[in-house]
Amino acid sequence: MQQFKPAWRDGYYRAQVEAVRNLKSDMVEVILTPEKAWPSHIAGQHIALTIEVNGRLTTRVFTVACGSSFHRETKNIRLITKVNNEGAITPFLSSVTPSTWVNISVPKGSFTLPNTDKPVLMVAGGSGITPFIAMLEDAIENKLIHRAPIHLLYFAKPNEHVLQSELLALQKRTNNFTFALLTRQKDGDVEAHLSHFADAHWLVCGPNTIYEQVQKVAKLVEAPLDSEHFAALPTVNIGSLSEKETFSLAHNGQHLAVNNQKSLLSQLQEAKQPVTYGCGMGICHQCQCVKKRGVVRDTRTGELSDSAEQLIQLCVSQAVTDLEIQL
Amino acid sequence: MNTGGLINTKELQEAPSQTDAELQKATTPSQSISKPDYAILEAQLDAIKSEVKGKIGAEDAAYIRRIILIQRICEWSGRILLMLGFLQPVLWVAGVLSLAAAKILDNMEIGHNVMHGQYDWMNDSFINSKRYEWDIACDGASWNRVHNYEHHTYTNIIGKDRDFGYGLLRLSNDFRWRIKNLWQFATYILLSVMFQWGVSYHEMAAERVFFGKKKNNRKNQVTHSELKKRFFSKGARQLVKDYVLFPLLAGPLFLWVLSGNLIANLLRNLWTSTIIFCGHFTGDVETFNAEDCKNETRGQWYYRQALGSSNIEGGNLFHVLTGHLSFQVEHHLFPDIPARRYREMAPKVQAVFKQHGMHYNTGSFWKQYTSVLKRIVRYSFP
Ligand code: FES
Repeated sequence: MQQFKPAWRDGYYRAQVEAVRNLKSDMVEVILTPEKAWPSHIAGQHIALTIEVNGRLTTRVFTVACGSSFHRETKNIRLITKVNNEGAITPFLSSVTPSTWVNISVPKGSFTLPNTDKPVLMVAGGSGITPFIAMLEDAIENKLIHRAPIHLLYFAKPNEHVLQSELLALQKRTNNFTFALLTRQKDGDVEAHLSHFADAHWLVCGPNTIYEQVQKVAKLVEAPLDSEHFAALPTVNIGSLSEKETFSLAHNGQHLAVNNQKSLLSQLQEAKQPVTYGCGMGICHQCQCVKKRGVVRDTRTGELSDSAEQLIQLCVSQAVTDLEIQL
Repeated sequence: MNTGGLINTKELQEAPSQTDAELQKATTPSQSISKPDYAILEAQLDAIKSEVKGKIGAEDAAYIRRIILIQRICEWSGRILLMLGFLQPVLWVAGVLSLAAAKILDNMEIGHNVMHGQYDWMNDSFINSKRYEWDIACDGASWNRVHNYEHHTYTNIIGKDRDFGYGLLRLSNDFRWRIKNLWQFATYILLSVMFQWGVSYHEMAAERVFFGKKKNNRKNQVTHSELKKRFFSKGARQLVKDYVLFPLLAGPLFLWVLSGNLIANLLRNLWTSTIIFCGHFTGDVETFNAEDCKNETRGQWYYRQALGSSNIEGGNLFHVLTGHLSFQVEHHLFPDIPARRYREMAPKVQAVFKQHGMHYNTGSFWKQYTSVLKRIVRYSFP
């Protein structure tokens, strides 16, 4: 099947790369044309994108940075992301050539514009601007924004605010949308800017640090808060392997505590979980399973795995972060 | 086709039926060769592995996809040509060969290697060891258990590796001689002809699912009824596909297609059986006893893999058609490295062996094959 339809994969949708552009030094924009069967998204949702990096299918999650009206009109969607040089996908995005076929998942997530009569406060940090652009586009397009004003606080490093012209254009289309470009160093803490919006419905998207600050204030003023934050990638400290650490292992709806000292296989066995296994030394692949997320360490080589979906062998894997697997 | 004639209780001869003491006595350890320094051997072979591992990438992914494409083309052109036999019998012959080639590619270069996990790193849900199902009577999961686990972990350990002699043939002094060994050459020919069924029945034979005394001491991860179900459903699927469905599709050409499929399967069986015998049962391969692998280090495991298998020399096409099992030594050392990489690993492995004074078992196809035949004949007699 794959021979006739490149990148055809069971359970995924295909999409063709339309264009790839560098926005700022470390931001890249990818325009994709999903196949017709792809169910369109609600502004604010994200998709998992799979591309082939040196022969390996690699998957990461990205917010769709456009409204669903944009998709309806142009048949395209766009993703905007920050390039992380150590990342598994983003450094390769800018070299993906147009017309390449890739895979995308169904749109997921419930971080969408709330159905409320209250004013809305959006707080974006860095590339966390993307779901808001999508929400604003659709809100203006569908005239939802006339109900209550929306204000956006957009934090980024100096000169790193992207999509400014689009924000301006959106602002021109309605009186109800305003925004402020802020840098944390110059304009002080996030908290200082929040106090005026106690009666609004808050939305926050950005790095954990921003999220935590906003969450704290939201509690104080009892503002309703929806959020999507990128937990900083789990920091893996190899030096601490000698110290026993415990992580949570989720599988088939169950949770199990596992430590970083013994193989996952032996801990699953001790917990009387239904695992198949054979050699116990990494040869036979009987104990193989799909790791949905988290990082494991190969006990033979010390190599760390990718943090996204991947096949692992339980008998030679140790937990390095919290994990989710599919037995 | 049924397997009843091939394997029956009386013919089943398997080491676990002997006591450990008997085994100890019977086994001839490899005293002839001085043991290498296992730690150094381990480090050297690990180095070869990690060097090649670093290179694995887009090229290997493209290679396996290309082979799958070629396999599909061979299969479909074979099936179409078989139906054109009435126009010109040569077309039928071409069809048989093309279909046989497709089956060989599917079993060897694709099925065997993918099911070893060689391409699992691609994260492709189709090309991976859990998912791939091959065009052969043997259920993939069963093969995975017996071959991937037992055979590759306990290579040539008498009593643990149920691949050695397939429970049918006496191939070393590790087994007591029995009268039926006198005609084991005929058994061997029969096994080769029916090879896919032998492979398919292998796990059940060892578990004594249908015949013989069941063992209580085995830890079974799969119930016998599950084994039976998988055996019959996979087997039936293959039979229906080759001997009912495609012949029926051909309508009046029923017999052309039926006989073509039969011959293609036969060719595949003979080929795979021969290659596998050459990889494992040449005159020089050594066997080990269960003592050898107690608390075995990785270096010792490497050593056992190295001496338990043999290579066959040949050209490019030959290697591809054997699924690179012509590099059986490298395959046993590095079972989950994409097989096409064995070519570049082989000279390095050979150099390491040489340094340790270890025998690197290789030779031309005819040399290895005659040595296999000699071994079968030799152990026909006490
Ligand atoms: S049990 Fe054999 S690879 Fe894990």
